[in-house]
Amino acid sequence: MTKEEAQGAAEEEQQAQSKKGLKKQQKEAEKAAKKAEKQAKLADEQQSTEEDDFAKDRYGVSAMIQSQQKLDRVLVRIQDLSPEKADQLIWLRARVHTSRAKGKQCFLVLRQQQFNVQALVAVGDRASKQMVKFAANITKESIIDVEAFVRKVEQKIESCSQQDVELHIERIFVISQAEPRLPLQLEDAVRPDGEGEEEGRATVNQDTKLDNRVIDLRTTTSQAIFRLQSGVCLLFRDTLTKKGFVEIQTPKIISAASEGGANVFTVSYFKTSAYLAQSPQLYKQMCICADFDKVFCVGPVFRAEDSNTHRHLTEFVGLDIEMAFSYHYHEVIDSITDTMVQIFKGLRDNFQTEIQMVNKQFPSEPFKFLEPTLRLEYTEGLAMLHEAGVEMGDEEDLSTPNEKLLGRLVKEKYDTDFYVLDKYPLAVRPFYTMPDPNNPKYSNSYDMFMRGEEILSGAQRVHDAQLLTDRAVHHQIDLEKIKAYIDSFRYGAPPHGGGGIGLERVCMLYLGLHNIRQTSMFPRDPKRLTP
Amino acid sequence: MALRELSSLEKYLGLKKPNKYSTQGDKKVPVLQNVNGPPLVGLVTVACHLVREAKRPELLGDCAESRAVVQQWLEYRVTKLDGCTREDVKTILKDLNLYLQDKVYMAGNRFTLADTFMFYGIHPLIVDLAVQEKEQYVNVTRWFDHIQHYPGIRHPLPPVVVLRNKIYSSKHH
Repeated sequence: MTKEEAQGAAEEEQQAQSKKGLKKQQKEAEKAAKKAEKQAKLADEQQSTEEDDFAKDRYGVSAMIQSQQKLDRVLVRIQDLSPEKADQLIWLRARVHTSRAKGKQCFLVLRQQQFNVQALVAVGDRASKQMVKFAANITKESIIDVEAFVRKVEQKIESCSQQDVELHIERIFVISQAEPRLPLQLEDAVRPDGEGEEEGRATVNQDTKLDNRVIDLRTTTSQAIFRLQSGVCLLFRDTLTKKGFVEIQTPKIISAASEGGANVFTVSYFKTSAYLAQSPQLYKQMCICADFDKVFCVGPVFRAEDSNTHRHLTEFVGLDIEMAFSYHYHEVIDSITDTMVQIFKGLRDNFQTEIQMVNKQFPSEPFKFLEPTLRLEYTEGLAMLHEAGVEMGDEEDLSTPNEKLLGRLVKEKYDTDFYVLDKYPLAVRPFYTMPDPNNPKYSNSYDMFMRGEEILSGAQRVHDAQLLTDRAVHHQIDLEKIKAYIDSFRYGAPPHGGGGIGLERVCMLYLGLHNIRQTSMFPRDPKRLTP
Repeated sequence: MALRELSSLEKYLGLKKPNKYSTQGDKKVPVLQNVNGPPLVGLVTVACHLVREAKRPELLGDCAESRAVVQQWLEYRVTKLDGCTREDVKTILKDLNLYLQDKVYMAGNRFTLADTFMFYGIHPLIVDLAVQEKEQYVNVTRWFDHIQHYPGIRHPLPPVVVLRNKIYSSKHH
């Protein structure tokens, strides 16, 4: 190529470049123009949406309630929502159980304990699009205040407890927001195990439930169980008070192990150490010697048993009874069994809703009992077991499987889930048990069973200081350690007896549940110290 | 064990002269010396011989079909039942339970050698069952209770208690 040609070519190239450059520039300019247009449009829209949010002050996250003001506002309970309140404008505070947006509407289920109701926010002249969007985004379990009209519905809402009404929301405010990721879902926690397996849906295992107890206790099943447990305590107190019993409080920090050395917790007590009480046994008896005649106490019991079973806790609530009697310890048995029967009747008559609610997740047979309570002698029980092919010695204690088998045999023969086994062999009872007057191998002691599992161990107590000393020596117990106890019988002591039941065990067996941790709010076992 | 069964069988059959048995091998297979020919080896072989000697052929089945079934169960006893492991027990009981659903005896409509030897074979398994398991395998238990009450069969084995009524309801507790 010649210089001129090269020059020419370069010029051409330049021209071509500038043509390309022009095109490029043009394209870029177009792009920029489009972008600017879009941005302008967005800004326009945003402005318009903000402008359109006419419902801005009818929803939102409230400032934290620090008692800034006293509002003269009545909050209605969900359980009181019925067609009677139709068309009323009410305020209520509840948790968001679920929220689901469907186009221009948002359906919420609001929950208070075991009651829930459907609520609805719909785009209209009262609610804006943004308000519906806000409602749909409220996290589950958040606590909200709503002002709403109660409206009757033609078709029953099967999935809620309040089936005849629904709420049409006017105002909705979040009082306490829940974090979006819950450690467990309430529907999963309430799902029966079998159903979970069948349908492939999740259930929550017990450890997760216990680790996040606060959320697990919100489920309908848990609410029902603990309301029933509260009922048991109430019925226990009421029945015994009517019978003339006095409630006492006994110390839990004690100087010597009451039931026998192995299973006590030791605590440091200033310069020495002390123990946590395994039972109020010794103090109940001292109260009888102090002329209180009939006493009961409700309080914690601490057993340092390293048993990881379905029915043992290291700390549980003991309901203990002790009473003086006139001539025969069967007066005590009759009093205790009558109290238990009154409790069963009270639960059956007043807590059916709770029982049904628990049965939804944990189906079981209703609890059966006889009136008067069935009382079998230990030898009779042994005979029934022998008939069924079990080999057991006359003075042997019942093992747990044999107890359960005997419970089944008794249920089959007498049709009762609750019975008393009387006259246990002396060898297997504690040192303070009164021996049988006619047969030195046996004792005036008894156990009571619910659904084949032991709930109460009781007896006539030795009220003579000398005999008590002899029995203690026979059991190789250090007399120094129980000197104060023996002394209390030296200044006139009436014949007396009693027994103690575990609150959690009674609830578990009444409801037909299988693990005692389900009936203990914050259970304690060898592996669990929190929550 | 096998020798005791054979002597029980002899008593049941009413054979006057008890035979002398020896055993062979580490499985202690019974052997009966036969004057008329080669020795009879094996529990089933010896038992069938005894039955024929006692002129009780109906114990081996009264028609061709039941004879075949009797032999089948005798073979089952010796091959599957004797020396079965713990894991096999559940399967064996489940299968038997299904088989006995609509039968009074193991073979045909009458008592046969199959019942005798299946009874002896099953006894150690049933003795260890809990009441709930006995209720679970209800047909096996029913047949077992029926056979153990037959005169001359059970002795000297200990009787197994079978409850008349169900104490575990159908709902799993």
